[in-house]
Amino acid sequence: MSCQTSPIDLKQPAISDERATRPVKVVAFLCTWCSYAGADKAGAGQLPVPSELSVIRVMCSGRVEPALILEAFQKGADGVMVLACHPGDCHYKEGNLRAFCRGELLERMLPQLGINPLRFSFAYVSAAEAEKFSQMTRDFVAKVSQI
Amino acid sequence: MKTVVILCTCSGIITEKIDWDTVRRLLENHPVRPVFMTDELACGFDSREHLITCLKQEQPDRVVVAACSPREHEGTFRALLKDAGINPYFLQMVNVREQVVWVTEDPVQAASKAARLLAAALNRVQRHEPLSERSVPVKTGVAVIGAGPAGMQAALTLAKAGREVTLIEKEPFIGGLPVRFEELFPNLDCGPCLLEPIMGELLHGSGSGRVSLLTMAGLTSVTGQFGNWNLTVRQRPRFINSALCIGCMECAAACPAQRPHPWNGSGNLSAVDAPFAGALPNLPYIDPESCLRLRGEECEACVSACPVEGSLDFADAGREITIQAGAIILATGSVEKQDVPPLFSGLDNVHTGYSFERLLAMNGPTGGELLTSVATIPRSLVIIHCAGSLDPSEAPYCSGTCCRAAIKFAHLAQLKASGIVVTRLVREQVIPGVEAGRQFHQDGSSVVRYAGMSSLTVSGSGADRRIVCNASGNGASAEMIVLMRPVTPGSGTSIITALLELDTDQAGFASQLHPLSGSCETSVKGIYLAGSCRGPDDIRAAFATGTAAAGLALSELVEGRDLVVDPQVAVVDATICAGCRTCIPLCPYKAISWNDREKISDISDILCRGCGTCVAACPSGAISGRGFTREMLRAELEGVLS
Repeated sequence: MSCQTSPIDLKQPAISDERATRPVKVVAFLCTWCSYAGADKAGAGQLPVPSELSVIRVMCSGRVEPALILEAFQKGADGVMVLACHPGDCHYKEGNLRAFCRGELLERMLPQLGINPLRFSFAYVSAAEAEKFSQMTRDFVAKVSQI
Repeated sequence: MKTVVILCTCSGIITEKIDWDTVRRLLENHPVRPVFMTDELACGFDSREHLITCLKQEQPDRVVVAACSPREHEGTFRALLKDAGINPYFLQMVNVREQVVWVTEDPVQAASKAARLLAAALNRVQRHEPLSERSVPVKTGVAVIGAGPAGMQAALTLAKAGREVTLIEKEPFIGGLPVRFEELFPNLDCGPCLLEPIMGELLHGSGSGRVSLLTMAGLTSVTGQFGNWNLTVRQRPRFINSALCIGCMECAAACPAQRPHPWNGSGNLSAVDAPFAGALPNLPYIDPESCLRLRGEECEACVSACPVEGSLDFADAGREITIQAGAIILATGSVEKQDVPPLFSGLDNVHTGYSFERLLAMNGPTGGELLTSVATIPRSLVIIHCAGSLDPSEAPYCSGTCCRAAIKFAHLAQLKASGIVVTRLVREQVIPGVEAGRQFHQDGSSVVRYAGMSSLTVSGSGADRRIVCNASGNGASAEMIVLMRPVTPGSGTSIITALLELDTDQAGFASQLHPLSGSCETSVKGIYLAGSCRGPDDIRAAFATGTAAAGLALSELVEGRDLVVDPQVAVVDATICAGCRTCIPLCPYKAISWNDREKISDISDILCRGCGTCVAACPSGAISGRGFTREMLRAELEGVLS
């Protein structure tokens, strides 16, 4: 049996006035060792991070089960990020790679549930990448608020 | 549930941006209805007593601290809760300083974000469970596997600290490979001379009473975990009563049965013998394959020659020994790949690095003289570097130590055979170190670059034999050839890593917890690595990592100090677990095992490090990650999205 569903237009739609003014809610699951440390470092460096972003700290990105991400969407999140240690840098050796695989699968599943996969992002952010964290979260919030 | 929220101003840093009164107003309708306390600097020493008094008065069920990053002060506030008589795990921190105040421009947005995160923390903390650390009594003895330089150094270091050590060695003698080498890089130290005092100390020194040496022994099974390992060791029969034998070797001189010398690749050894004079422990051993008497023939030669009656024990059947230890140190070493590539197979006077070392050794087949198979002095020698290393079909890595040995061989050959022409065929040269620099500059061999083993041709024979590099046409006289074969894991390494269920790298060496910061640890708590079972390495590193592994065992297993187990681990709900075993291969720390009796997965809280990968993977939701349970994370989600 095929899992084909009606295609979703992945192109970013034009911004309507009503949508543009509605504040978005973005949840970011951060592993405590790399990404959360990177977010702390963004703070220490006074780099801007969107106020729409709510961080949930976990020990490892591998802890974030897809059901939790779906639940975030169900509860009204406009976007969900999972940020992990770079490959090879995981404090728990390979939790980040598990998170990556789960993210890949989830991304393919989202259209079947009627959720634009652009609303989900998996990325690697190290403890040193404060700039990257700041830029990436701003870009993601901007992207999500235009969907 | 009564919940106290401590709002820290961080000496004004937080309140510069956030007005806590505004935040309190935003939380007015939160169902938890917390009690708010504001503190100037909650982490400060001055605040500590005051906060403890307040918490004791309020007697809250849960506490939220809105301050800085939990990475900085979660420990501080957990300790504070504990001193206030509250379970330390009833705490949730909100990181308003790093992740709100410092990254948000607009005070209104900052206050609203702080309120949102506080709402989430209030939701979450209601789901927190009381947790407590568990104490486990541990054994402080250590089992060391492999009695080469790394294992001996680890055993000695531990024994000096008063630890009971069981040193398990598969060979009949200790000292590993370097005890067989005459001259060691870079300063041409004599291997046996370097090791003799160390071996002597191990066998007869002040700490030797705490070292139980098992030669001819191999691990057969392991159960348990960090702090409480149970090892079963099978010791092969030596047929010598070590309590009686005085090591005079009269038996060896009298023995009529010969066998190929196991160390030299040429020459013979008696059926009862030691491979060289001075091998330690100073006891011969009998090879049951070649001993006439053990093969059922009549022979009394050794018994008649032996001055101490009862030293020869033909009834020895070996034995099985069980050992209890808190930690295991793996020092099973590495070996040179022994096979000869097809281009050279069957050719005369072709050595590997190991057999050339033996040829140069005083206790080797020629008494240390550099001689061909017909006992003449060779006029030319070609040493082929990377003879299998850096080769995708053999060993795709640099073996690290062979260039050093090769430059040493060139030097020694020129010392031993005057006028010999030495050529080194190199692909790359890796000879780091200050002392190595001297060897490099004094090297009297000519260096020819070659493209790989498949680019070489061998022609002629005897003194006229030549090796030619096909691409360049460069060649060299090669009456004798030494192949620097790749360094591969020792035979013990693969057996032991399989028994201990340790991960190995692509080449089969034991995987390190981290290649830089944890190179003497494995992913399994309580199993440490020393020497070249970790990957190709030299004697210097063997000693250093032997000390390091012993240090890790000493610091993690302390006499009289129980193992404190972090309660924030994954736990299996036996009533929900369906026994699918999905979680077992996922655990990077081998903390999950199959409970065959109850048909469920068991998680060892000693081995679990609380990452939660199994929690996320369990299809039945049977695994709960303490401190980060599904309920807690859902409550937090609810809070940030409400």
